[in-house]
Amino acid sequence: MNFDLSEEQQLLKDSVDRFVSDNYDLDTRQALSKNDAGFSDTYWQTMAELGWLGVTVPEAHGGFGGNQADTMVLMEAFGKGLVLEPFFASAVLGTRAIVAGASAELQNTLLPKLIAGECRLSLAYAEEQARFDLEDVVTRGTQNGDGFIITGHKSMVQHGGSADYLVVSTRTSGGQQDQQGISLFLVDTKSEGVSIQSFPTVDGQQASEVTFNDVRVSANHMLGDLDNGFGLLQDIAIDGILALAAEAVGAMEILYKDTVAYTQERQQFDQSLSDFQVLQHRMVDMFMEYEQCKSMLYRATLEVVQKGRDAMRIVHALKYMVGKNGTFVGENAVQLHGGMGVTEELRIGHYFKRLLVIDAQFGNSDHHLSCFAG
Amino acid sequence: MDVDLSAQDLEFQQEVRDFLASNAHDPKTDYAQWRLNWFDLAKNKGGWDVPKWPVAFGGPGWTPTQHYIWEKETAVAQTPWDLPFGLSMLAPVLMNYGNEEQQQRFLPDIRARKVNWCQGYSEPNAGSDLANLKTKAQLSDDGSYYTVNGTKIWTTLAHIADWIFCLTRTSDSGKKQEGITFLLIPMKQEGIEVKPIITLGGSHSVNMVHFTDVKVPAENRVGDEGKGWGYAKGLLAHERTGLAGISKSLVALDFLRLQAGEVKRGNATLLDDPAYKSKLAELEIDLLATEFTELRSLASAASGAEPGPESSILKLKGTEIQQRIQKLTVEAGGIYSAAWGKQPVGHSFAKGGMSGYLSSRAYTIYGGASEVQKDVVAKNVLGLKKAK
Repeated sequence: MNFDLSEEQQLLKDSVDRFVSDNYDLDTRQALSKNDAGFSDTYWQTMAELGWLGVTVPEAHGGFGGNQADTMVLMEAFGKGLVLEPFFASAVLGTRAIVAGASAELQNTLLPKLIAGECRLSLAYAEEQARFDLEDVVTRGTQNGDGFIITGHKSMVQHGGSADYLVVSTRTSGGQQDQQGISLFLVDTKSEGVSIQSFPTVDGQQASEVTFNDVRVSANHMLGDLDNGFGLLQDIAIDGILALAAEAVGAMEILYKDTVAYTQERQQFDQSLSDFQVLQHRMVDMFMEYEQCKSMLYRATLEVVQKGRDAMRIVHALKYMVGKNGTFVGENAVQLHGGMGVTEELRIGHYFKRLLVIDAQFGNSDHHLSCFAG
Repeated sequence: MDVDLSAQDLEFQQEVRDFLASNAHDPKTDYAQWRLNWFDLAKNKGGWDVPKWPVAFGGPGWTPTQHYIWEKETAVAQTPWDLPFGLSMLAPVLMNYGNEEQQQRFLPDIRARKVNWCQGYSEPNAGSDLANLKTKAQLSDDGSYYTVNGTKIWTTLAHIADWIFCLTRTSDSGKKQEGITFLLIPMKQEGIEVKPIITLGGSHSVNMVHFTDVKVPAENRVGDEGKGWGYAKGLLAHERTGLAGISKSLVALDFLRLQAGEVKRGNATLLDDPAYKSKLAELEIDLLATEFTELRSLASAASGAEPGPESSILKLKGTEIQQRIQKLTVEAGGIYSAAWGKQPVGHSFAKGGMSGYLSSRAYTIYGGASEVQKDVVAKNVLGLKKAK
């Protein structure tokens, strides 16, 4: 039993920590988020050069051959820097779909490009009527000769505007809420009939509404098996939740530490704010909720990596806790910073906003609590 | 990172399971005899009767993982009752600060569970502010004995104890943490009066203990006069880690679920009630996280590091979880939880539920109230100044 990072993970951590501290001060970050793409292409190339984009790609395909624990190391550091590059959308969600679901031929063409940063992916799964249910899919995939035709609308596709391909969940058979009858396709965003409306999200990132109007996809762009794509979609979501949780833990660490530092500096009533017991206890609560999240992150990640029987339940527990504790830490960080806490000037507000978005991604804390309770 | 048990750990786990299974109590035989015999057998396994004692004093020298396995297995198996006062609280003080004569005089009887100890720390005016204690110990002119006068309170099981280890004041000068002396005092003697305190749960486990001109030989002093606070502080840390009770809560939660499943509600059971279900789920999630926080703390101890920040959370979270389990037991009992007599009414578990819940309110008070624990975390982990 040990919770130490392996030697390789430690090296990975050192390099990503350095990247974040060298490149991600708040001003730079805010400027980048106002780019057209909403992130830095240079940083994206750096991520490719450092091998991060292939962290979970098998070594046979030129990747690092890592698992969710390695992704955790990267995402936790990205959480500390509020990193903008679409690592999560492309290297976590999209890449998992390709590695686990694409044909050998498609993997051979696509994986090298993904690793090299020459191609970006995102996952288009959300639909308005579905709320947080992955299996509630209306977007249709209809067989047509050798290929398929996709028609429908997907929402809140992270970094959809800068993606080259989208992994799209479609209903190829069965009823609207059936797990059976879902198929995943890889759709080129330049295909005829794809229209993408991009917009900023509250956390400084970008998302898109995507409409598919009779979009033709060839059969070898199907990921996983026809009608049996739900399992793959769920696996992608599990990886997504673990990665988001790691990012949230990184963000929570910054929030509680910044709050401790600020209350020590800030003088009121002729003393540091941090000398007030009522504030100390609040900060202890923030610290504890952060540590508990970290424990649950380790537990869930190990459970998934080791394919434990309880993995799905623990992942629900994790996402519940990340939403609840993340909001608690964020709200209290703002509260303890007083007036400064509600300004754009300090970084804590930005971390808070990111945590709010993380809560809503792949199901919020209420959703996962009720899944956990069964 | 991994949480898999190694082959040796799995082997150890099996050995523990075998030992516990083959030495369970047979209800046809005498309990007290079985109890003492059980500790003897455990001793013969190589110090399993004193898992936390150092090897030099007969302990098994387990790794943190082995301790974890032992905790887990003994939480579900039937083991004899045991008290922490001599075994886990006084013994480490004697090992670290007692002289050889004291070690030889007291440790074997503690180990054999022959002598019951109680802890004389809190006083009517020294609760969370323990160092404010006033029980006076006056050394005789010839230096051969102390005369002790004063009152201790919340003394658990003082009414069955043979001895008490006591913090006394031998000097009023300097800081209040100075001038405290650690004395070992026999309970059955002139001048010691034990008065029961009945707590909310209706049970008698704590007491008030009055000392009137009690003579204590100087040889019963542990360590130096006036240095007792330092000895006692280390002991409090031991007490705290033991109070989280994670393994026991995991078992208690399973039991709670069974109980709630017995409670009918329409055509379903209480387990189908959305509000109850939700509280149960939140409780389980907090417990799952705290269990891993404990594992992280064990793992960092195993690698030789000082207890990490995560260990300070355990008492706070662990006792809250125990209270929530008690609370949900009372809720499961519904109106039957109100019955207070000896006669069982309603669900099999309803009797005792309320009493257990009321007793559990003390968990976040004893061993350092939760607010004191937060002060400790604020100072030692967050690096903040002591609050005014």
